[in-house]
Amino acid sequence: MSTLTLYMQYIVNGLTLGAIYSLIALGYTMVYGILKFINFAHGDILMVGAFIGLLVYTALTGDASPSAWTLTAFFISMLVSMVACAILGMLIERVAYKPLRNANRLAPLLSAIGVSFILSNGAAWIFGTQSRRFPYPFENEPMHIGSISITPHQIVVIAVSVIMMVLLTFFVNKTRMGKAMRATSLDQPTSQLMGINVNRVISLTFAIGSALAAVGGILAAFDFRVYPSMGTMTGLKAFVAAVIGGIGNIQGAMIGGVLLGILEAVGAPLLHIPNGMKDTVAFAVLIIVLLVKPDGILGKNEREKI
Amino acid sequence: MRKAIALLLVAFICIAGAAAGGSGESGSGDTYKIGFIGPLTGDNANYGIRCSNAAKLAISEINAAGGIDGKQLELIAEDSEGTVDKALAAYEKLAYMDEVCAIIGPVFTSPALAVAQRCQEDGIVMISPSATHKDVTAQPATNPDGLNYVFRTVPSDALQSDVAGHYFYEVLGYRKLASLYAMNDYSQGLALGMKETFESLGGEVVAEETCMVGDKDFRTQLTQIKAAAPEAIYIPNYTVEDAQILEQAAQLGINVRFLSSDGFSDPEIYNLAPDFTDGVIYVGPAQAEASTILSDFQAAYAEMYNGDAPDSFATNSYDATYIIAGALDRAGSADTTAIRNEVAATKDFQGANGTMNFAPNGDLVASQGVYEVDGTTPVYIGSFQIVDNHIVQVD
Repeated sequence: MSTLTLYMQYIVNGLTLGAIYSLIALGYTMVYGILKFINFAHGDILMVGAFIGLLVYTALTGDASPSAWTLTAFFISMLVSMVACAILGMLIERVAYKPLRNANRLAPLLSAIGVSFILSNGAAWIFGTQSRRFPYPFENEPMHIGSISITPHQIVVIAVSVIMMVLLTFFVNKTRMGKAMRATSLDQPTSQLMGINVNRVISLTFAIGSALAAVGGILAAFDFRVYPSMGTMTGLKAFVAAVIGGIGNIQGAMIGGVLLGILEAVGAPLLHIPNGMKDTVAFAVLIIVLLVKPDGILGKNEREKI
Repeated sequence: MRKAIALLLVAFICIAGAAAGGSGESGSGDTYKIGFIGPLTGDNANYGIRCSNAAKLAISEINAAGGIDGKQLELIAEDSEGTVDKALAAYEKLAYMDEVCAIIGPVFTSPALAVAQRCQEDGIVMISPSATHKDVTAQPATNPDGLNYVFRTVPSDALQSDVAGHYFYEVLGYRKLASLYAMNDYSQGLALGMKETFESLGGEVVAEETCMVGDKDFRTQLTQIKAAAPEAIYIPNYTVEDAQILEQAAQLGINVRFLSSDGFSDPEIYNLAPDFTDGVIYVGPAQAEASTILSDFQAAYAEMYNGDAPDSFATNSYDATYIIAGALDRAGSADTTAIRNEVAATKDFQGANGTMNFAPNGDLVASQGVYEVDGTTPVYIGSFQIVDNHIVQVD
């Protein structure tokens, strides 16, 4: 295998991982854009999404082998999980964040960490701590292009992620509600004066972010398995992706996620260090990005208004 | 309202924390207290839960038969989550608050290394059912009497990796191997030990890749291994990592044989990666001679725990409990030095694992078993020992 194909293979693998990070990073970045607040419970929402997806999928198909029906059932369970997580996200915002909106900036952050613990411990209590396998709804025989192998799973991950991101971009840029969202993120009090229902915009932001996390959770479940603490590390990495891309910026989150995924796959072999250190490489890059461009790749370099 | 919600959240977190932490209440003066340290929650809880279940089963059997000198045994199980910090906290609780007379565990190597040092220092018997790193029983006896307090009912890695290296080279005929192991004491100890033996025989480890426990994506490592074109790949890891490694290797079109270690003897692997275990060969505990003790244990375990099957570590934990009970019986008191002397004096103990003896350093005197997985069923090939630098099948 030549070095070129070797690196092509790394990039294919990194792209898959990165697409998942991007989907989850969107939730962090959208909430930050509007509320200037890091929703640390976001990673656990992806775990809830994966569990709901798995439960619905197994309820629909049992242990059936892959067929057209299992593929349909897979997308049905993804939709159910998206809706459920959207509701959960709005509920969490209502109960744990909204009452703290005008409080000290630390308060909602701590509240978010509390929610994160409740979700992951609750899942451990209900489902136990064992990892569960998400059965493939399609034949996952790898395809070979030259000596690079790509699995249908990887193609589904990338395709679903791209579709979600295109839909989101369209929604934010072309619809009235999207416009309201952008306005709210620019200036909340003024938007309110212009007649925008800011509370609704915030609820919607949480709903969309959580639905995307559900998709990310289900797509990640094939590789990561489903278990109560699955959201912690994945969530942290997606958060890093959001920061690298420029937190608050939707395109930035997409770029940051893909970049982080590829860095993780390519970083260690490129630098000839043990692969056990691949997360170290990824996080070192985060520090470098922050040192060179503190606002992230696409972040606006704006001064705090006095 | 805000305060009420905040209070509610705090209350929830406290309850969740208490539930996760588990509780061990100290018993009365009519009991002998035995401690257990292992992961009872978290990703690797399957190992700890089965081991503590087996110890609980042994204790309930002993108590049902009248206990030891009329005293009941009590197991106090503490959760280590598989980490050194939590294991040491668990040790401190068991040793200083509960004042247990012996400890079963820790289950994993890294916590076992840390707890072994403390047991040697404080003079409390520790029997690990599963910590296989060669250094676990090599901790200096720092107690005033200079006695060894650390034992195990699982063979040392030094033996396991030696048999593995010889088996891969001499019996399977491999000359070029790759390894992919987690950077922890257990996996690293095995991978490096196997490499040393394998290369001393004339073989070569052409790719040596590492990962972290908890990693989910091994494609970069596997791609590098694929490029090195080994004849087989050695993955001495725990089940969660091995499951993903096997699956992702298949996705990358790697179709050479996988070799593994006793971590593979946990049946959880067949739930996590049922389609990818066929053909895996692993070196693990030698199978006990088919004794009624083993079959009785397996039946009682299945009955007590809803049909769950005990893994080899649980079997070791069951034997460790009986060895401690036997020592308590002979010592006739909860004096830790007397118990230690009786554990060390254990001779030809008939357990679920067959006849067991301890070497002076606390290691189990043992041979190693080799298994080949057919679909999702491990098939026993035989047990092996190293005699004069050659592998010999003993049964």
